[in-house]
Amino acid sequence: MSEVVRAVDASVIVYFVVLNSFYALLLVMALPEIWAQTRLAEDENLLRLQESGAPPPISILVPAYNEEATIEASITAILTLDYRHYEVIVVNDGSKDGTMDRLHEAFDLYEVPRIHPETLASRPIRALFRSRTRPRLVVIDKENGGKADSLNAAINASRWPLVIAVDADTLIEPDAMLRLTRPFVMGLKVAAVGGTVRVANGSVIRDGRVLEPRVPPRFLPGVQVVEYLRSFLYGRLGWNRLGGNLIISGAFGLFRKEFLLEIGGYRTDSIVEDFDVVVRLHRHLRDRRTPYVITFVPDPVAWTEVPESLAVLRRQRERWHRGLILTMWKYHGMLFRPRYGRIGSLGMPFFTFGEMLAPLVEVLGYVVTAAGLWLGVLDVPIAVLFFLVALSYGMILSIWGIVLEEVGFRRYRRWGDLGRLLLFAALENFGYRQLTVWYRLRAFWSAMRDRSGWGRMTRTGFAPAGGGTAS
Amino acid sequence: MTSRDLLIIVAVGQSVTLAALLGAIGVNRWIRQRRRARVLPRRVVLDQAMNGWALGEIGPELVARALEDLPTADAVEALVGWAGRLRGERWQALAQALDQRPWTARLRAAVRARAWWRRLQAARFLSVAATPADAGLVARLLGDAQPAVHIAAGAALERIATPHLVRIVIGRMPEMAAPVQAHYASVLRTTHGVVVPLLVERLGQVYDPGLPRIVEFAGRFGDAGLREAVRALAGHSNQEVRVQVARALGDFPHTASIAALRTLTTDSAWEVRAQAVRALGRIADSVTLPDLVARLGDSVWWVRLRAALALTRLGAGGRDALLTAEIGSQPDARFVARLILGLTPQALTEFAA
Repeated sequence: MSEVVRAVDASVIVYFVVLNSFYALLLVMALPEIWAQTRLAEDENLLRLQESGAPPPISILVPAYNEEATIEASITAILTLDYRHYEVIVVNDGSKDGTMDRLHEAFDLYEVPRIHPETLASRPIRALFRSRTRPRLVVIDKENGGKADSLNAAINASRWPLVIAVDADTLIEPDAMLRLTRPFVMGLKVAAVGGTVRVANGSVIRDGRVLEPRVPPRFLPGVQVVEYLRSFLYGRLGWNRLGGNLIISGAFGLFRKEFLLEIGGYRTDSIVEDFDVVVRLHRHLRDRRTPYVITFVPDPVAWTEVPESLAVLRRQRERWHRGLILTMWKYHGMLFRPRYGRIGSLGMPFFTFGEMLAPLVEVLGYVVTAAGLWLGVLDVPIAVLFFLVALSYGMILSIWGIVLEEVGFRRYRRWGDLGRLLLFAALENFGYRQLTVWYRLRAFWSAMRDRSGWGRMTRTGFAPAGGGTAS
Repeated sequence: MTSRDLLIIVAVGQSVTLAALLGAIGVNRWIRQRRRARVLPRRVVLDQAMNGWALGEIGPELVARALEDLPTADAVEALVGWAGRLRGERWQALAQALDQRPWTARLRAAVRARAWWRRLQAARFLSVAATPADAGLVARLLGDAQPAVHIAAGAALERIATPHLVRIVIGRMPEMAAPVQAHYASVLRTTHGVVVPLLVERLGQVYDPGLPRIVEFAGRFGDAGLREAVRALAGHSNQEVRVQVARALGDFPHTASIAALRTLTTDSAWEVRAQAVRALGRIADSVTLPDLVARLGDSVWWVRLRAALALTRLGAGGRDALLTAEIGSQPDARFVARLILGLTPQALTEFAA
């Protein structure tokens, strides 16, 4: 028994050494990438070119389901972005609340005939509307079919060669689209571009704009600020250098429409349609040997509301991880296949054996360590020391995300916010991390039972925060 | 070494790393604050000097000196910012005044730097301060593999568009993305005397695989001197060339263009027909009414839609044609006419864009 415990313990240690070494590699790769990206972001010639009429026209797709609280502010903010040629297609996905009424009232909608070809299948469309006050706006009212279905309906109705999927509760910064088109303007063969999603909770918001970014004082949203920084600022930047991103956030990602149409749009049977679509794009374009890049640009920013309660967080994390498991299972044929290049040899294995299996191995490590201590085969001081070293490594990764934020973007100017970020980076590993491991572990159970569905995300709406100073 | 020793070493290493990261965050903030405090007053002095020079109160020498006091990156940024507001001979005088300064000599030397961001800084500087003597440096930057560098250098063509430089740009045109093409079309517009003969020469190379992009650029450039060269390609065997010709001819309203476009409305490729009827809609000459009406019955939906939209731009004649089609015998034409007639003027404007 003791030998088994020792062997399993050693395997868990080796697993985490390999995984953490890969994280360290991502971290190292993120450095030259952020250096390059910040230099490009500051290039005024490029900005002037982007501000000219030269950048390609874009269709912004906004699926909305029960978004009554935030829809007007979000759409108003999207309609006033700094970009010359774009349209906004809002899809009311059979909302049960007053989303459609709110849109009618706010934008003075009138019905128009449908003249677009329905290339991608979607649930029946009840009506198509345009706005008397906002010429860029198109609203599709359709029967409920989920986010992917709504995006497919919006792609059908879109007119422009680039489409950007945006969540209705997401606040896009005015210059974010200009910045997001930088890879296109630079002439890269881009299939998709992702921007940074940041946490809006606690920030000062007015008229659908984040006026002053703040780190929320509450633990749960606060710790997610650190998580998002880590995920976007070194995870995805690192992947830019390691062969392309596998994730373009569904809340803020720009795609070339012709490729989306070629792969049949978003899959309605996937609960992480953003992840699924990027994996399929990689597969399709590699199969066809089409040169392409799927990249991440850090300076365009969209702000989103993150869960403030454990129940909502649990549903969200379970769904994300369940989606990861199902997607990795569905596309396991890409694993280690040379034809898929670094995506097959690095990206897919990392997401399968690193991201997907990590909660299982972590819990196994806790159980085996406890068993080892109970059986007396593990030295208590060494076990404690190992635990602390593991937690400290997690802390270093989080603080590295904060360093990249400070060096590259400095959105949180107050010393108090910086202090909070550091505090949450330290506290994240005591309780929160274990909690999310548990949620992700539950996802294995629900994935086996193949329970789909999004879970409910209760929106509170973007009320002016920071003590209402900006209201 | 025991596992405990190893773990202690790792823990010590982590502690040092953590302390270093925290220190880096603090030092980074401190350095930035100090730098801002140091640069800001100098930037104010520069802006005052620029304002004085713009009003003719001081000479460019004082501006050059104020620029010299700034860190190079800030000086380049300030120059690029002011270049958008001040142009012409006065700006040339400043460029001359900056010509022999040590910091500008270093920037010019950076054209050959290995690091692309140093070449980018050089390109940004030359984009606003290049003199005819810099043509060789600009030529080198225009061929740079980093897109940001050659885009920045492209702006220098507004000041020094020699035939050699324009030839380099046209040579790279087939590999350029549409937005970059549009950028070059805009910076080269002031020097059409140099650009047009070179473009006409390139348009004459009918077997050039990059020809579609050259025709596209010619359309963007929109100079009347290019019309005949573009029109001559209307019968080209490559479909993509004909698509670009049809699109470009919409920017050259002329009887010769209309004649070519009328022929292209019956092209075997629907993409060409769609672009041709769209271009005829932009030219909006009533003589093309029968061609557009005929396309209402096209076998491809997009061509029918474009033809109906084009008819809405032909005034009362076009509207009458749509009303006739709406009650006509052709089901496809009837449907598209009903669709377009049902749109509000606002929606119509947007769809016709």
